[in-house]
Amino acid sequence: MAVFHRPGTLGEACALMAERGDAMVYGGGTAVQILEKQGVLFASDLVDISGIPGLANIEETSSGVRIGPMTTLRAVETSPLVRRVTPLAARVYGHVANPRVRNTASVGGNLAHGDYRLDPPTALLVLDATVELTSSGGTRTVPLREFFVDFQRTAVRPGEIITAVEIPRQDEAAGSWFAKLSSLSANDWPCASAAALVTGGRRFGRVARRIRLGLGAVAPTPVFTQVEVAADAGADEAVDAARQAAEPLIDPIPDVRGGVAFKRHLALVAVEEAVRLSWEERSDARGFFRDRRRRR
Amino acid sequence: MPEDSFETGVAVGERWARTDGRAKVRGELLYAADQPARPCLDVAIHRSTWPHARLVSVDTTDARAMDGVVAVVTGADLHAVLGERMLTGPAFADQPCLAYDKVRYVGEPIAAVIGYGPAAVRRAAEEIDVAYADLEPIHDVDAAIAGTAFVHDELRPSAVFGDLRHLRGKKDTNVNYEYTLRHGNSGAAAETAAHTTSGDFWCPPTHHVPIELPFTAAWPEGDRIEVLSTTQTPSYVRQTLADLLDLPLNRVRVRCAPLGGSFGAKMYDRLEPLAAALAWTQRTAVRIAVTREEAFLLTTRHGAAVTGSMASDEAGDIVAAEADVRYDTGAYADVGPRITAKSGMIANGPYRIANATVRSRCVYTNKPSAGPFRGFGVPQVTWAHESLIDELARARDEDPAAFRRRNLLREGDVAVMGTTMHSADFISCLDAVTGAVGWDAPLEPAAGRLRRGRGVAVGIKAVLTPTISNATLQLNQDGSATLLISTVDMGQGSDTIMAQIAAEVLCLGEGQVRVVTADTDVTPYDTITAGSRSTYHTGNAVRLAAEKMRDRLIGLAAGRLSVETTDIKLTSDGVVSTQTQETLTVPDLLLGHFGARGTTLTTEADFATSWAPYDKETGRSPQVTEHWFAGAAAVQLIVDTATGRVHIEHLAVAGDVGRAINPALVEQQLTGAAVMGIGHALFDELVFDEGQITNGTLLDYQLPSIKDMPDRITPIVIQSPHRSGPFGAKGVGETAIIPLAPAISNAVRDAIGIRFTRLPLTPERIITALAEQHTEGGTA
Amino acid sequence: MSATIEPTVNGVRRRLTVEDDDLLLDVLRQIGRTSVREGCGVGACGACTVLVSGRSVSSCLARAIRYDQAEITTADGLPEDDDVIEAFVEAGAMQCGYCIPGFVLMSHELLAENPQPSREEIADHLEGNICRCGTYPEILAAIESAARRRSQSGVPIGETT
Repeated sequence: MAVFHRPGTLGEACALMAERGDAMVYGGGTAVQILEKQGVLFASDLVDISGIPGLANIEETSSGVRIGPMTTLRAVETSPLVRRVTPLAARVYGHVANPRVRNTASVGGNLAHGDYRLDPPTALLVLDATVELTSSGGTRTVPLREFFVDFQRTAVRPGEIITAVEIPRQDEAAGSWFAKLSSLSANDWPCASAAALVTGGRRFGRVARRIRLGLGAVAPTPVFTQVEVAADAGADEAVDAARQAAEPLIDPIPDVRGGVAFKRHLALVAVEEAVRLSWEERSDARGFFRDRRRRR
Repeated sequence: MPEDSFETGVAVGERWARTDGRAKVRGELLYAADQPARPCLDVAIHRSTWPHARLVSVDTTDARAMDGVVAVVTGADLHAVLGERMLTGPAFADQPCLAYDKVRYVGEPIAAVIGYGPAAVRRAAEEIDVAYADLEPIHDVDAAIAGTAFVHDELRPSAVFGDLRHLRGKKDTNVNYEYTLRHGNSGAAAETAAHTTSGDFWCPPTHHVPIELPFTAAWPEGDRIEVLSTTQTPSYVRQTLADLLDLPLNRVRVRCAPLGGSFGAKMYDRLEPLAAALAWTQRTAVRIAVTREEAFLLTTRHGAAVTGSMASDEAGDIVAAEADVRYDTGAYADVGPRITAKSGMIANGPYRIANATVRSRCVYTNKPSAGPFRGFGVPQVTWAHESLIDELARARDEDPAAFRRRNLLREGDVAVMGTTMHSADFISCLDAVTGAVGWDAPLEPAAGRLRRGRGVAVGIKAVLTPTISNATLQLNQDGSATLLISTVDMGQGSDTIMAQIAAEVLCLGEGQVRVVTADTDVTPYDTITAGSRSTYHTGNAVRLAAEKMRDRLIGLAAGRLSVETTDIKLTSDGVVSTQTQETLTVPDLLLGHFGARGTTLTTEADFATSWAPYDKETGRSPQVTEHWFAGAAAVQLIVDTATGRVHIEHLAVAGDVGRAINPALVEQQLTGAAVMGIGHALFDELVFDEGQITNGTLLDYQLPSIKDMPDRITPIVIQSPHRSGPFGAKGVGETAIIPLAPAISNAVRDAIGIRFTRLPLTPERIITALAEQHTEGGTA
Repeated sequence: MSATIEPTVNGVRRRLTVEDDDLLLDVLRQIGRTSVREGCGVGACGACTVLVSGRSVSSCLARAIRYDQAEITTADGLPEDDDVIEAFVEAGAMQCGYCIPGFVLMSHELLAENPQPSREEIADHLEGNICRCGTYPEILAAIESAARRRSQSGVPIGETT
């Protein structure tokens, strides 16, 4: 059984992470407890960072928001600041599991868990978020787009603790959508998910638009791609371009939720839904979609 | 019959609140694991990692040496003490509580660690080292029938059932029971039929997943054994433990608590034989509290394959129906042979069928044992016959509801298995559900990638017969009553229903009848709380006991008032002389009779049903069941052809309950069963890989949540009173689940033109079928 | 390793010695709060729900040691005249009853945050609670009734928990 530590400062936590063999950060604990129950937790030590002051803050920065690793998913989802600065992130955090799990699960732990099916990475990828990692050796920053290296493997090195997630301000005029498709019960894990953000190019302008896409559950890691489409293109054209860009990244893992062919199909449906609605939102001057989104 | 057309009584037909409703909402009701019990040692179980293997050795040395461990008991240890008595089961005595010679499924218990604290015993259980000699595993039901590897060396039917005796000792087979029905000559009739439909259908194994986990505590009490357990079958468990430990029945006490759901999961032999064997042989108090992952291994619903066909003549009469049913009962028969017959006999559906054939087999495989599950094997065969008849109607270009309506069995009809129909109003059920969803109104097409459709299905089930219920009623001197029965309230509301039946006879009000929780030292025998049998059977026993009580009160009053008993009436105010209008309250009457306060007047009654065994040649019986359940479901839904998801707009379910003792509880059973049926139709499924369950946690095993609810759900109570039901009543717990999956599938067929034969209708199945339909040019 | 925690459970301050891997679920049950129940052990069914400072928590995934000084509410600790409980009782929103305390607490959290939830918002909030008996229609009706009564009686948000 792993030894449980409750450091009071970040320095102590980093020291524990450095000294102990297979130390693991204990954040919200929801994922770690499940791993432990299933007998697949292989950490020698658990370092509980909930007692360290200042790790659960959400702050506005010059470029966007900075979210502490112990911030709960629900705090992000309901934060007026996050909703204003980066509404896509707020919305996607509100899709994880259920409200009770979101009350406990932490922003840092959610990323460190590295599960390919998680919702938040899809949004954080398109929003170009960065992850701050701290160890006894110092602090470094990793773009989220380089964070997920392989199946359940992240860029976090032994001894490192996620100390912040920074999300750049979302272009106010951007269109965005998150599509989460399940294949079993409605509240199941996603079988395929896609977050899309459409920026640039006014409706009849010459500047091309950029479609950014973050996909969940359709490959061994969350994946990101982007594509440019002429601003005067129709939604169908945008969807086609996005599907073409996404297709090579789709590499599903077959399981009880579906085989490879079905997941591949569903991934493209998710892409289509996310891109179509965010494209139309970007094109829509009346803010119709914005209202509709708030109701969801 | 509408609710208000019955003669109004004081209790029956009233929407009384559940006797324990407030305690349940407040969280104050104590379930088995919450009950005070003596300090118990914890038990952890070491389980097989192989689906089929001989046990070469079980090394418990390391486990015994661990902190907190008191004892480690292997199957061989118990076998040395208990011998063949160790093999238990309701139909076949084939299941050991710990494997001792070979293992037959992944997860089968091999050894038990007893000690201090769940964590300590669990750690020790992991240190047990088992050496296996691999045997050929049997995963598939049809491979089990055809193959040469056998789960059991020989069949071991339980000594209790005479009709299974001929199977004893039979070797080289995985088929432990076979039921056949022959009525006319279906083969010949089908040859000359105008229209024939046929198909191979499959229902996967599923799990009940009551949210309360199974729990059993057991301890020796001098020369007695006491057991506190989550069980629907305390009387059965007492008999089993008496046989296991070779004790007279009065030295075995089985106590229950209200169950946190069960649906068939907590009955017959679950944790009780192991707990009792450990407690008795180790002379210590033990408790077994399993995890959700372990609960998945204790029992399942039978996966079932049905090869079926149905044929009609030009006029639209059904001239032939055939069904070849194979139930996958897993490693142990449990009650599978009973399911095989009771469900097999109605595998052609509740129709007037001129010629019918059924072959229904119960088959061993190397999977966790399958047992009873809400519907008792009937939903699996209904899946086949309600799909077939839908296609047959379409082949005739006839409305599926109208075609069913013309062919459904009516009051007085003799069904293909030989028994006459009574109090089974399929027509009213069908009309009610189709009416509710606006069946005859034109279907508004859905936009874009969405397709809208409607479907209907009916279902029939026989109540388990023969069975027995007893009731003991105590009328307390203050006028309140205490009812002793061994029926277990697991959410179906039996305590409330039984209180209402007793109250109706004795003119008592809400809250005046208390029902004692089953305890075999106290409450009298009841066969089982299952198969929707309690309202009828226990209800009749309660009614009879209450009538005896009423007669005794009248007798006492006649004596006191010096009038004839025929002049005394029992009313809500007490006993009244119709001659003198003189009234005596019950408290006064009893005080006068006993001369003391706090006394009790006791009556008791038993109620048993009987049957005529199946004819050996034809499988027919003039009295195969005491009564029938009749139900129907109609659905309007939308299929998303891009995602494959099904969205139910309106679901209507109806059941003929004879008479609704409590309409609110009846409606709740109808909707509750329907919600469970939605899961079975769309996603609920146990997935195996080489004998190993791959989705055995609630992270992966999917249950309907509030988000899977239809936009609208309409329960409809049909009342066609049963001549011998208590106030005309029958049960309702299973009725709505039976036609649910085919109703949904028939609506999907209507929406996208594809007939599905395998459950569940996952988005993957729908998308795959749509793609095939596309390549084949629009037909399927 | 054991430690002493001092949570307030249903308004009563408790002093409890816990091991560092003890689950809040087990600790609460040991002190008699048997309305808190294990159903799945993985946070998926909601039978073990408790409120911590009004926020729902799956006590089966929570280490008790982290709940020193916490304000914990279990369903059996709600007031006798609790409006959500009344609404559930009146709506007949229970069958076997095992999961219902979890639904009651989730409903309290929802109504404190959103006094007039739509059906969709109720479903969003309760999606992680499983009633295997399928009592969802009655549960929905109960919550809508409680919300309606609060709006009619003008009870300020969050003051009834």
